[in-house]
Amino acid sequence: MEENQNPVYKNKDYGQSRELLYSYENDGQYKKTVGFHGEPDRIILQQAWDLFGERIEDARKRVKAGKVSPVVYYMEKNLLDPMNLGMIAGISLWRVKWHFRPVVFNRLQEKTLKKYAKAFNITIDQLKNIE
Amino acid sequence: METTKTIINYTHRQAGHCESGATSNLFKFYGLDISEPMAFGIGNGLYFSYIPFLKIMFAPMISFRNLPNTVFRRATQYLGIEATVIKKIKDPKEAMAMLDRNLEQGIPTGMQVGVFQLTFFPPEYRQHYNMHNLVAFGKEGNLYHISDTVMEFPQVLTYDDLLRVRYAGGAFAPQGKMYWINNLKPGIDIKPAIIKGIKKTVYEMIGIPFPLIGVKGLKWMARDLKKWPKKHGNEKASFYLGQILRMAEDFGTGGAGFRYIYGAFLKEAGELFGNHTELLEAADIMGKTANKWREFTYIGARNCKNRSKPEEDYGMLSDMLMGIAQNEEIVYRKLEKIKF
Repeated sequence: MEENQNPVYKNKDYGQSRELLYSYENDGQYKKTVGFHGEPDRIILQQAWDLFGERIEDARKRVKAGKVSPVVYYMEKNLLDPMNLGMIAGISLWRVKWHFRPVVFNRLQEKTLKKYAKAFNITIDQLKNIE
Repeated sequence: METTKTIINYTHRQAGHCESGATSNLFKFYGLDISEPMAFGIGNGLYFSYIPFLKIMFAPMISFRNLPNTVFRRATQYLGIEATVIKKIKDPKEAMAMLDRNLEQGIPTGMQVGVFQLTFFPPEYRQHYNMHNLVAFGKEGNLYHISDTVMEFPQVLTYDDLLRVRYAGGAFAPQGKMYWINNLKPGIDIKPAIIKGIKKTVYEMIGIPFPLIGVKGLKWMARDLKKWPKKHGNEKASFYLGQILRMAEDFGTGGAGFRYIYGAFLKEAGELFGNHTELLEAADIMGKTANKWREFTYIGARNCKNRSKPEEDYGMLSDMLMGIAQNEEIVYRKLEKIKF
């Protein structure tokens, strides 16, 4: 718990909001304080975002190399795994995994593409061409 | 375009935990003065489960809280308050229309939402977590006024954004769940509700005959923690450890995996029962345990950063977690024996 904003995060948008935390003092009183995160919290949150960032970058490279379909990139970007993606898009798990192949993805029907686009909250064009 | 404007005179107060905060704020709106820890304790917010074979965000599922909506449902049930909970609404448009009708009648309405698409939420927390709660208390044209107890101030959301978060998919999907209070008579005696709440929590923490829930689950996790570096390698073990800490400290817990809030509840309850010694003692032990949780976070986070001598460190952390589990067990055994 700290009073001031912390510039420790790599992303500048992080750590901007104050939250309420409880604590127990030596005199046996519970105390409420409002403040920014302490250092341990920042370390562990940054750790998670580092891992997600790595996975997204890795997926982007594999898509560019033509090894996997853009679905994988957007799945990683939305922090999903195949099972959750299937639940959100309404497509069964093994079909989602099948669509990871570029060859299969390229001949997908408009209907299925729409489902993915809706799940990722993007347009079909964006889905086909990753930035 | 004609803009309709309905804003209910609802006071937003920041809280440690989203659901108990929302519950407490709703009760206060109807004139029953119950603090956040009190709502949390009566509604059995405290819980622990560790499910190693289910992976959420690439790490084992660890939960310090009960299933969504437990706090509101149990609190209203134990206090004898008439409330409506609609678990599932198939048609999203109908769900939004219901919300509009409620707001027109002046009823602040709680909703379960997913966090990932929530626009005002701090970006460092934006992960797939579908058990968040917020209260809508006004509508102005296309904008909804939202009280999210994690945030310091009330927020606004557009119609489309609110619809999207209410129908976020995935595990524990909200499916448009909403709840509100119908009728709250003045002069409710909260003492029987406190007793019921404590008994239920004690049962959930030490009574359930399944090894992954409650104190047993905590001990199981402590034993597993020691094995992680060998089993998964340093990188992954560190991430898993980080997951425990993230679940305990962040994600709107008020710190230390709700143990501070529960301690505060025990203290408040002890004072309400005329300085009940055993309850106050239990509150004291709970507070000290919560401080140990925080210490655990400090050491664990340092370990996540440096990754020095992993085997020794993990052994030490495991022992520490075991100590915490034993301390917590003492509290629940104490509470179990109390005769009110």
